[in-house]
Amino acid sequence: MNLLEVRNLDIDYVTQEGTLKAISDVSFDLKQGESIGLVGESGCGKTTLAKSIMRLLPKNGVISKGEMLFKGEDIVKKSKEEVRKLRLKEIAMISQSAMNALNPVYTVGDQLIEGIRAHSNATKEEAAKRAEEVFKIIGLEAKRLKSYPHQMSGGMKQRAIIAMALTLNPSLIIADEPTTALDVVVQDKILNQIIEIQKQINSSMVFITHDISVVSEICETIIVMYGGKIMEKANTKVFFKAPYHPYSLGLQNAFPSIKEIGEELISIPGSPPNLMKEQNGCRFQERCPFRTELCQKELPELKEVGEEHLIACHYPEKVNEFREDAKKRETWEGVRNRLIEESVGEA
Amino acid sequence: MLKYIAKRVAIMLAMLMLVSTMIFFLFRAMPGDATAFIVDPSMPPEARELMAERYGLNDSKWVQYTIFMKDLVRLDFGNSFFYGRPVTDLIKERMPATLILMFSAMIIAYLIGVFGGAWMAWKRGSKLESAGVTFSLIFRSAPTFWVGLMMILVFSARLRWFPAQGMRTSGYSGDTFAEIFLTLDFLKHLILPSIVAGLYFIATPLLIMRNSMLEVLSEDYIEMANAKGLKEKTVLYKHAARNALLPVVTAGALFIGSAIGGQVLIEVVFSWPGLGREIVQAVTRHDYPLAQGAFIMISALMMFMNLVADILYAVLDPRISYK
Repeated sequence: MNLLEVRNLDIDYVTQEGTLKAISDVSFDLKQGESIGLVGESGCGKTTLAKSIMRLLPKNGVISKGEMLFKGEDIVKKSKEEVRKLRLKEIAMISQSAMNALNPVYTVGDQLIEGIRAHSNATKEEAAKRAEEVFKIIGLEAKRLKSYPHQMSGGMKQRAIIAMALTLNPSLIIADEPTTALDVVVQDKILNQIIEIQKQINSSMVFITHDISVVSEICETIIVMYGGKIMEKANTKVFFKAPYHPYSLGLQNAFPSIKEIGEELISIPGSPPNLMKEQNGCRFQERCPFRTELCQKELPELKEVGEEHLIACHYPEKVNEFREDAKKRETWEGVRNRLIEESVGEA
Repeated sequence: MLKYIAKRVAIMLAMLMLVSTMIFFLFRAMPGDATAFIVDPSMPPEARELMAERYGLNDSKWVQYTIFMKDLVRLDFGNSFFYGRPVTDLIKERMPATLILMFSAMIIAYLIGVFGGAWMAWKRGSKLESAGVTFSLIFRSAPTFWVGLMMILVFSARLRWFPAQGMRTSGYSGDTFAEIFLTLDFLKHLILPSIVAGLYFIATPLLIMRNSMLEVLSEDYIEMANAKGLKEKTVLYKHAARNALLPVVTAGALFIGSAIGGQVLIEVVFSWPGLGREIVQAVTRHDYPLAQGAFIMISALMMFMNLVADILYAVLDPRISYK
């Protein structure tokens, strides 16, 4: 049974300059206990997607189309009060910025207790007891509950936020770059803790990150997003062995591998598309080294290329050729030259 | 904390001495003759001379200054030239009327300002929000005497709901504080002037609160509070407003300090027997002791409220502590 089914989701940001289509036609399923890693460049819509699941979009963000079935019920159609009851209890968020996600004028304990009591009739003492329990699970001393956020280190604050997300054993955890603000050693410890607890309470997880190496460690499934659309969805193991989409190939190049130390990384030239403008064809075509006329005209649908492996590319059959070429620096240099030519042509 | 307060009080006392000195010389530097307002111009010049001699105005500035400072440390501001009574008594008599008026105005302004400002930030971009900003700015820009007169016109002259002037109906007299101020009659007299003053003050807390709220609302902990599934009101008032309150508190504490001087125009329009009117008259009459006393009181209160604001900061924000 799927815990979450996202169907043909469109999200727009209404701004003074026009409408920005942050998410267009995104669909995916999330099984009970599964963890999905959402990766992509800044502005590709991963945070928007994650926040929309909790209906936490900013005021100008509108879900203009599609549905999100959570336990069979459409979140998009729910009233404010129904969504409020879902938050933390069913869907909990581990926020991006450990530094500022706790209110500076209340103790961490009070903030945890407040969350617990917003969803149950627990007395203060009962809630405090529960807060102590989760603090223990996450590896913080109970006396820290009486601390104010400014009295704690970054790692402690991040742990406190994780503890907060776990207090009510949610069925879905949304982790929005939970460790970006931390140093690598603490990062690793905390990641492991998140996974451990997630497995313990058998909740599903949507894990957002720029860092695809983190996904390889902790998620079963990976979704690569670009320009507000899903480019590729695959089992993590399969993905890291044999990615299909040209963008995924480019992404893999851009991350250092331990085996090839000293090698200069190959980046993807160009920048993501401006989503304020009407998009024709594949979102990635501008920066894709293998694009054809078809790519510029027609938007590729998500196609199955293997077991639970979906890609949005017109040429899945040419994947072997793509993989070979994508490893070469010249291939991407070609894109750079093409981009320069195009911009000169426009001017 | 106590050590910090003690240090601040010591600094305050030193500053007060400095301020008193400045006030003393400022009044002496003022053009005009102090005796002119006490002695009738038709009296012979000897009478003036006698007056100047009696009040010590013929002594050198230095002698006058040392006497003034010596008295000051004993909290003796001397006798008013005009009333011939101790300044302390005069201030004591006038101050409660002003303070009650100012406090009521402030309560009106801050209650509406703080909650309204928070609410306006929440409803940013709505018509009601821009109406709120316009409303507060109109009353800040409109001359208070005009607003006062209009109020009197509507509510006293036409509707006859409230009395037009004074602090109590004539003929009534009371001696104790309770007899003077804790009566329905007094309350009726208080309403109009305090509303006019309140409307004038409202822009400060309202706009500071609104702006500070807008800043706070974009903070991550507000999103977190929402993500916890707290009720909208809880997020707005417990999490956002609590943090946005800090600058409003400072503005408020400093405001009390300046409020002791009163709103002269309002006191005049409503014939409110307050300190503000008295100070202005004392200055024009060259009533040095009364003017000096009042100004020193104002500066002392101002400094004190500054300290209160700092202490309140530490109470409201756990990140701030004084060692």
